Amino acid sequence: MSDHRQDRDYRFVPPKPETEVDDELRFHVEERIRSYVASGMSADAARRAALERFGDIAAVREACARMLTEDRKAEARRDWFDDLRQDVKFAMRSAARAPLFSLLAIVTLALGIGANAAVFGVFKSVLLDALPYTQSRQLMRIYSPFRDGTQPKGSLSAGTVSDIRERQHAFSSLGAFLSPRDGVYLNGDTPQMIKAMFVEPQLFRTLGVTPARGGGFRDEDALHDTTTVVMLSHDAWQRLFAGNPSAVGTTVRLNGIPRTIVGVLPRGFVPPEGTADFYQPLGVKLFMTNPVTIRGSHNFGFVGRLKPGVSEEAANRELQGIGAELERLYAKDNLGIGLSAVSLRESMVGDTRTPLLALLASAALVLLITCANLAGAMLSRTISRKKEFAVRVALGAGRGRLLRQLLTESVMLAIAGGAAGLAIAIGALALLRGVTIAAIPSYATLSLDTGAILVTFALTLATGLAFGAGPAISVGRSDPQRTLRDETRGTSESVRSRRMRGLLVAGQMALCVSLLAGAGLLLRSLWAMTSAPIGFEPNGLLTVTLQPPGGKYGTLVARNRLFDDVLQKVRALPGVADAAVVSQLPTTMSNSNGLFIQDAPWGPNEPVPFISTGAGSEDYFRTLRIPLKQGRIFSTTDGPDAPPVIVINEAMARRYWPKGNAVGAHIHIGPPNPTAPWITVIGIVGNVRNDPTRLAPEPTMYLPFRQSSFGNVLAIRTSGDPIALTSAVRRAIATIDPMIPLYKVSTMNDVIGDSFVMRRLPVVLITSFGGLALLLVSVGVYAMFANMAAAREREFGVRVALGSPRGAIARLVLGQGGIWMAAGLVIGAGGVVGAARLLRSQLFGVPQFDPIAIGAALAILLLCAAIALLVPVRRATRVDPITVLR
Amino acid sequence: MFEKESGLLQGTVELLVLKTLSWGPMHGYGIASWIESATDDVLRVEEGSLYPALYRMTRKGWIKAQWGVTENNRRAKYYHLTAEGRRQYREQTSGWRRFADAVNQAINTRSAPSWAK
Repeated sequence: MSDHRQDRDYRFVPPKPETEVDDELRFHVEERIRSYVASGMSADAARRAALERFGDIAAVREACARMLTEDRKAEARRDWFDDLRQDVKFAMRSAARAPLFSLLAIVTLALGIGANAAVFGVFKSVLLDALPYTQSRQLMRIYSPFRDGTQPKGSLSAGTVSDIRERQHAFSSLGAFLSPRDGVYLNGDTPQMIKAMFVEPQLFRTLGVTPARGGGFRDEDALHDTTTVVMLSHDAWQRLFAGNPSAVGTTVRLNGIPRTIVGVLPRGFVPPEGTADFYQPLGVKLFMTNPVTIRGSHNFGFVGRLKPGVSEEAANRELQGIGAELERLYAKDNLGIGLSAVSLRESMVGDTRTPLLALLASAALVLLITCANLAGAMLSRTISRKKEFAVRVALGAGRGRLLRQLLTESVMLAIAGGAAGLAIAIGALALLRGVTIAAIPSYATLSLDTGAILVTFALTLATGLAFGAGPAISVGRSDPQRTLRDETRGTSESVRSRRMRGLLVAGQMALCVSLLAGAGLLLRSLWAMTSAPIGFEPNGLLTVTLQPPGGKYGTLVARNRLFDDVLQKVRALPGVADAAVVSQLPTTMSNSNGLFIQDAPWGPNEPVPFISTGAGSEDYFRTLRIPLKQGRIFSTTDGPDAPPVIVINEAMARRYWPKGNAVGAHIHIGPPNPTAPWITVIGIVGNVRNDPTRLAPEPTMYLPFRQSSFGNVLAIRTSGDPIALTSAVRRAIATIDPMIPLYKVSTMNDVIGDSFVMRRLPVVLITSFGGLALLLVSVGVYAMFANMAAAREREFGVRVALGSPRGAIARLVLGQGGIWMAAGLVIGAGGVVGAARLLRSQLFGVPQFDPIAIGAALAILLLCAAIALLVPVRRATRVDPITVLR
Repeated sequence: MFEKESGLLQGTVELLVLKTLSWGPMHGYGIASWIESATDDVLRVEEGSLYPALYRMTRKGWIKAQWGVTENNRRAKYYHLTAEGRRQYREQTSGWRRFADAVNQAINTRSAPSWAK
């Protein structure tokens, strides 16, 4: 080992192996000839004899050249690793010599790489990882979109499901399901809330999923009105049955009815919509017997597997044709409703694609800024180490070797930062798994797998090379002789490196202003959403959901009596001002029904509008502080036997009764049942924004709880902390019936907050990325001015000595750095446009190029830059000509 | 010269090369000439086959090559022993002696075995 290093340092280039072997063998043969000639042979005879004595020269030559080639290659490999080891050792030493710089670099890199790894982890598990189905690319979700665009993801009616089945040719298999619903599972004696979902037995076949345990559903299981078999999700099997294999085959009580467990689904399986603990077999045929629900109720989800070779477009064309035909055949129910299919992934990813892309882009911007920033810092370090490099070049180190050394240093910093960043990312994802279950599709695992770790590693290497490349090149170009000779200039900066630093600052400014503008737009939009009046008073409201078992409280009368008792008990509690029962709280309303107005039937080309529908008790509006605008609200006399009544909101009144004659109007709500009595509109209440991300309130109607069959959420107006009342409410309800499970206990503010999580989380993250970027850019601007001022210190000293005013020097420095900053902002304008475009679909209540958001971004960036440049510019103007020139 | 025709083992060639180089650095021609004269030309066949042996020994790290200049001012590739080569030389020499002595003793013996009639 020691002697080959010696050889190498002569840096002579060895001849090709063949040439070397030839030289050696030629010497041998020529020496032999000489010895023969010396003993008296003729030249010719001597040559012949020498060659004969040598033997097969071609074979020897070939064998030797081959061995030499192999040896040289092995040696080159050893050298490469030796150099690397040397570089790494040297890099560690030089990092340790500047501990503060190294630490700062590693921390910045850790944040930059960590942010990217975490965001990529989410991005990958949501958008890139395979769905938990076989060949999920062939799977499509079929929707029934409203032609007016209000309901792009409409569900299907039972009639439509079976009509598609009969007519379609694009799919090899189709399966329908109903959205998961709350149910009660009797765990021993304790009632427990679970999610149960009706699925056609064909659905699992369509998805290509077979049960992990048990035989699963048979087709005939779906033929009965009351299903007696259930399947479990893997998660529920673990949670409720402790993963006991003998759970399959046992009988459990679900919603009061005994049912046999016939299978457990594989780990990681999630339904195409929502999540579920129990699956029950669904028979669409059973729904076909009820003439009202056959086409009037649109509540089926439908998934199909494309036949091999059939494209999404072809399937959509076929479905459009079927949709148009059904619209013609069943205009009463299907008018204005088409059919379309989107890939199942698209339908499950939902609205997360754009926020994730925006997050990924902003994390990438932060990393780019980090790179530019560290490149600037490395440049400064390189300049102060110029002497060191010059000495090494003078002692015989090649330029390539020096370049490699510098890149090794930056890559090692990057690797240290990357490792710390990976830890940050893993921690962040663990945190995220706890927070955003609702905001992220249920199949996403939110973890860093091998692929994500490899991507992070590649990103780390690229980062190291990126921020090391600039300084390395500038060193490669410097002239060692001049550097060594010209001692006084040891710390000054060449024009070239000054220009590079300027470019780096310009780039950082451009990236930062784009990121800040994006964050500003999102913040303004979020603020617009949260600050707009929501239509009721959410503070001081406690909400509790109860699930009265269906058997005991199956009739309207029984339910009314139960909730009368419950509300009476709850109202009597100290600290309770009001209490009401409602079907779904504001911001979570999901039911809608068709609207039919007496004497104003929809024309043949007018689709039936679907109106968000709730049911509330007579004190609901008072409890939530929803104002009555006209007419009256429900009273206790609007019972099951009284004439049917309804209360609507202002948005609905204005839209469907523009002349202001809504109160007293008669309507039917869908599914249309011509034999049902007309419902009278008795009052108009204030608008409540059901989707807080939309500023315009949607039309809403409220049925009286006493006349409708649904509603199980308590809204309790309290005078103190709502949550403090929880146990008192629980006890009060238990005195009425201990078998009623309570769940979803929370404050109204939390309910609203949950509907914002999806909006808020990316905004918070992008804003914090923006803050990080701002900090980095400030450091970059500071470094640029500090270096510039230091480099021209002598010149400024001369100028001051010659009588130049301090202000002129400040102008000089500002002008020189300002050009780069201005250039950055000009380039950044393009980035701002890009950011606004990307975020367009995420903005509510703010224009795409909101001058306030963009102006604020610009102002904050300039303010930070101004603070950063203040110190170095002041220092430049304070130059003392005597000390500088001495 | 050393391999097939003479029936000598590869190890013998290497031992002889080590012996030659124990006097000091030498080029391939010198090594071949010395071995031939030292063995009274008994091993005098096809000198070329010495070279693969030299390259093999270089790879094993026993010897190293360096280009130098002969007395007649000609460029030649000189081989010298490494530390490992010297160790090999000592070990293989004593090994060969024991081997040769044993074979010699056997073929020079006059006392017949008991089964000889």
